Amino acid sequence: MEVDRMEQLKNQILHWKNQIRPWLHQGEELIHQIPPTQLYAAIGAVLLTTFFLLLFRLFKRTKFNTIVLAGLSGSGKTVLFYQLRDGSSHQGTVTSMEPNEGTFVLHSEITKKGKIKPIHIVDVPGHSRLRPKLDEFLPRAAGVVFVVDALEFLPNCRAASEYLYDILTRVSFVKKKTPVLILCNKVDKVTAHTKEFIRKQLEKEIDKFRASRTAISDADVANEYTLGVPGEAFAFSQCHNKVTVAEASGLTGDISQLEQFIREYVKS
Amino acid sequence: MLEQLLIFTRGGLILWTCKELGNALKGSPIDTLIRSCLLEERSGASSYNYDAPGAAYTLKWTFHNELGLVFVAVYQRILHLLYVDDLLAMVKREFSEIYDPKRMVYYDFDDIFRQLRKEAEARAEEMKKAKPMGKPMNNSLGKKQGQVQKAAHEGSNKKKSSGESGNDGGDGENSKNYKIKNGHSNGNHIGVHESSTMGGVSDKENGSSNAGAFDVNKLQKLRAKGGKKPDTVVNKGSKVEGSKAEPKKKITKKNRVWNDSPPEPKLDFTDPVNENGDENVTVVAAEQGESMMDKEEIVSSESETEEEEEAGKDSKVDTKKKGWFSSMFQSIAGKANLEKADLEPALKALKDRLMTKNVAEEIAEKLCESVAASLEGKKLASFTRISSTVQAAMEEALVRILTPRRSIDILRDVHVAKEQRKPYVVVFVGVNGVGKSTNLAKVAYWLLQHKIDVMMAACDTFRSGAVEQLRTHARRLQIPIFEKGYEKDPAIVAKEAIQEASRNGSDVVLVDTAGRMQDNEPLMRALSKLINLNSPDLVLFVGEALVGNDAVDQLSKFNQKLADLSGSPNPRLIDGILLTKFDTIDDKVGAALSMVYISGAPVMFVGCGQSYTDLKKLNVKSIVKTLLK
Repeated sequence: MEVDRMEQLKNQILHWKNQIRPWLHQGEELIHQIPPTQLYAAIGAVLLTTFFLLLFRLFKRTKFNTIVLAGLSGSGKTVLFYQLRDGSSHQGTVTSMEPNEGTFVLHSEITKKGKIKPIHIVDVPGHSRLRPKLDEFLPRAAGVVFVVDALEFLPNCRAASEYLYDILTRVSFVKKKTPVLILCNKVDKVTAHTKEFIRKQLEKEIDKFRASRTAISDADVANEYTLGVPGEAFAFSQCHNKVTVAEASGLTGDISQLEQFIREYVKS
Repeated sequence: MLEQLLIFTRGGLILWTCKELGNALKGSPIDTLIRSCLLEERSGASSYNYDAPGAAYTLKWTFHNELGLVFVAVYQRILHLLYVDDLLAMVKREFSEIYDPKRMVYYDFDDIFRQLRKEAEARAEEMKKAKPMGKPMNNSLGKKQGQVQKAAHEGSNKKKSSGESGNDGGDGENSKNYKIKNGHSNGNHIGVHESSTMGGVSDKENGSSNAGAFDVNKLQKLRAKGGKKPDTVVNKGSKVEGSKAEPKKKITKKNRVWNDSPPEPKLDFTDPVNENGDENVTVVAAEQGESMMDKEEIVSSESETEEEEEAGKDSKVDTKKKGWFSSMFQSIAGKANLEKADLEPALKALKDRLMTKNVAEEIAEKLCESVAASLEGKKLASFTRISSTVQAAMEEALVRILTPRRSIDILRDVHVAKEQRKPYVVVFVGVNGVGKSTNLAKVAYWLLQHKIDVMMAACDTFRSGAVEQLRTHARRLQIPIFEKGYEKDPAIVAKEAIQEASRNGSDVVLVDTAGRMQDNEPLMRALSKLINLNSPDLVLFVGEALVGNDAVDQLSKFNQKLADLSGSPNPRLIDGILLTKFDTIDDKVGAALSMVYISGAPVMFVGCGQSYTDLKKLNVKSIVKTLLK
């Protein structure tokens, strides 16, 4: 059986060869008619374009220099964005209606000598109606900064941890192991909570969410990833993504820890 | 006086504030405006009222979409500042000239603003002075009109965007009001004069502001009405007035008959009015059917609009004749700036499509306005059509609306309540026959599956058989039920049920209430009492997905009644929506949008069948897709 089939195939191929031969001859004649310089030029052009296309593709793929600023409304993302860009919060901010985007060299590094690779930073509005915007930027993110208001932390604790939970359980996000920085903003104020306290509270809340959410996700087939180790209290160290906690103050411009994080994941 | 004027980007960075005004605003009116108005697709509205302890502000705003700027003016509500619209338009015009995306500080705008403000205030002052006198008003209004016209011209010439024309409309309205008042008091002839000038203005503008021309029509109609009223009161002057208005109309009608070409009748239209204004002697019996006047007016205005439409068609034909090349070129190069007129056909088509999907008309209208406000003045990208741009903007808006503002994770809330050793109380409210009890049973089943102890409370003590119905469900699901028969105050029954639940350790109490029409005052009062007495954790509005325009009425009235009848400063309103009969509507999913838009509450559950398992979450993406299909 097998052999028969092979025979048949060989016969068919031979047949095709015979059919194509006259066409090839015609083609060769045509090519001979064209002056060789033109021919070379054409081939060169084709090669060059494919080369450029490949190069373009290659560059696009390696271009993961996006840092996403996420967090609840009013936590100070826009101020941080402008602190990073201009080193000043200008005249204050109001609730954002659209993401702020920019590719720039960090303000603190402008004075540095040498060639510095600019960073693409996106400030996604925190208003819950605008959350879907995050989907556009997360796949391209080299790192996510989750900004938390350390001053008004407790009233917003649940909302913040829910948002963080949503981010941490995205399958695509977990697969890429995008690092997350939980940035406690507004620490210049006296009554601000410490970062340890905030981390613990967030872990506690996420633990509760884990219980209720895993119950729901049976009902609808969302592409969610279950966080942490079942049967153990949740801690950020259990995440596949690397989660770190840092402090900053957008208004006074004390953002060295944030810059450190950015430079760690977007090499200059 | 003006409290504050801000200019900020849509990204949220404040570019300029008026330091002279410098009054610290109480509360955060700007953030509230953005969160609860601009982001809720209500930016089509003209103003927003902000209430905070010790402050009552009115906010007005305008967008510059191409540059992505927002201009907001804040002033005390008790002051009716007339110049704010004007001022905002001027500030926008001036600021957009000096705006540079790279620049963050605009101290030099202070001087410009000072001047603009003076100008605007002076104009407003003039108007105010003019109001009681009449004659000078004509002057100032004429000036104003001239100014408006200028603005409109500039708008059309420089392709400046949006809000300006909107403001024109506002001005027109303002002046209209004055004129009507004036007509009542005495000098109608001024008004007529006025209208003639205005007619002239609209003629000149014609292309750019059709709305202006339309306003003139309306205005005359209104004046005719104004003239009509004093007629009933025996008053000679007003008779003259009424009669005066009449021949004018006749003449205009004749003109229509004589001339077909669109621009000429309009020119003729102004002249006879002038004559009439000067004549004002002929006394014709005012009883010759004033109602007909209105009708005629309507007809004539219709015919005019028809003519205009025809003219529009002609121009369309012309553009078609110009050939596909120019249009293609335009599509490649990208159109300069989108204007309202460009957007209108696409928006109308979109509105119709939304309405065929059972979205309430009012809401479709508002949404389209809001989308128009967000697109006007924007540049059309190359290789895109207007319709697709509008569609994309609408899709974004719909996703934004349907995305829940608050967490809809009930299980999470239940767990929190459990920790506090309190039962979590859910009250189901709604009109008759939407499926409150059935879906209550479905929710109970869902909660049971997640190992939560549920108790039902039969607080429908109104409709016979309601308690038995719930008892049947309870028996099938093996759930305890709290019932006290009929003829009891439902509020008391609910209270006892909650007490019982905390005694026997139930986690959730599902309270069934009687169905009631939103207009039924006594029943709504009873519901308000029930909710205020028991302060439930969740007030769930059960609504049919079949409902069309009535959805708006139902929800807004329920909310309104709950707010009015509660007596407490922070009344409980509807927290969430349960949409029932979702399996019966095919692609007419508009009710979901209507309800969410009008109440701001998220759709928490969707009932989609007869069995206990038929309870789902709302899939926002699929709803949006269906709505725009």
